[in-house]
Amino acid sequence: MTTLAATIAATIADREAEIREAWFEQIEALAGRMELPHLAQSLRAEAADFLVAFIGALRSGESDLQDDGLAVVLRKAAEISAARARDGFTPSETAAFVMSLKDALLPVVIAAYRTAPAELGEAITGANRMVDALAVETFASYTRTREEIIERQSRSILDLSTPTLRIWNGILLMPLVGIIDTQRAQQVMEAMLTAITREEARVAILDVTGVPVIDTRVCLHLTRTVAAARLLGARVVVTGISPDAAQTLVKLDVDLSGMITRGSLRAGLAEALRLIGSSVGALVREAS
Amino acid sequence: MCDRQVEKTIRLQEDIIGARQAGRDLARAAGFGTVDQTRIATAISELVRNALLHAGGGLCRIAVETTEASATLQVTVSDDGPGIPDIALAMQPGHSTTRGLGLGLSAVRSLMGGLSIESRPGRTTVVTSMTRRR
Repeated sequence: MTTLAATIAATIADREAEIREAWFEQIEALAGRMELPHLAQSLRAEAADFLVAFIGALRSGESDLQDDGLAVVLRKAAEISAARARDGFTPSETAAFVMSLKDALLPVVIAAYRTAPAELGEAITGANRMVDALAVETFASYTRTREEIIERQSRSILDLSTPTLRIWNGILLMPLVGIIDTQRAQQVMEAMLTAITREEARVAILDVTGVPVIDTRVCLHLTRTVAAARLLGARVVVTGISPDAAQTLVKLDVDLSGMITRGSLRAGLAEALRLIGSSVGALVREAS
Repeated sequence: MCDRQVEKTIRLQEDIIGARQAGRDLARAAGFGTVDQTRIATAISELVRNALLHAGGGLCRIAVETTEASATLQVTVSDDGPGIPDIALAMQPGHSTTRGLGLGLSAVRSLMGGLSIESRPGRTTVVTSMTRRR
């Protein structure tokens, strides 16, 4: 078994040039199907690189892909598929890339063993197994890379800064976007209280238009922020609660009576101006 | 009929977003109005967060069953956490073991219209559902 596998490996290794040509053709066709002809060049470069590692491993006699000896090839496969994942390839396109090696490899193997039909079956199985193992590794690494990207993105969304904008003398605006978890709520509260002190703001408008779901936890954070702001002598006007969210909020039974809420940011700003005893007209007159 | 089911594993804060988004999508596909969609998403948010806070995670299954006359969306959240020792107490508005508002479960009951809890140490299953007439 081992000797035969070794012969198969040697047979494949000896036909490196032939396989490379066949694989390039496959890649050309693949890039054509994906309607990305310019990609063929970089794919060819990767394929050539990969084939060298693959053949090198075969030459060293490590025909069994479970073997540690082929770790280099597997790492290469992982690298390539990671690059594919970052380039935005679909999983099937990534798989098609590796599987196209099989289409290139098998005809060569079949041609090589035409004279020895007894060993042909095993040769095909062997070649198949090698490519399949590569494909599995490629796919696993593709998924890993995707997951890393997703994780990084969701972290960066959570880390989005929470801007505080001074929109009028004594009036701050904080638009909240995304999920409000404990950590995020802490950030919001800190940013808001710091800004209130710095700007000597008397009203802070908290706009929740961008908060997808207002549940009891979000309510808890809102009430705490409002209470803390009040200690600094500032009132908080919460704006941007959608009609759907309003109907849901009444069911939650959360006591929001201590909070000033307005449907739109416009109404919230009007209320804020009323609270500081000012109006746009008065200020425009003042300025002129 | 056109029955659909989604299962979400809850392990991280981010999974809460995924679960309630899935619930909203299923509800929309089943023809629930926007108010009901918001209620469903909020209820899922509460239940899934409970599983995350008290059991470190769990499984959220959202299933839609459609008949000629109605559509029912059922949310099942299960976890293998310590369990709820006193379910009646847990349902009481204002009772909380994590310094929250303690309104989650009672909110889910009034948002969805019903709630059933089965709990023993190592296995807690919370089921709630909403039905829409066609």
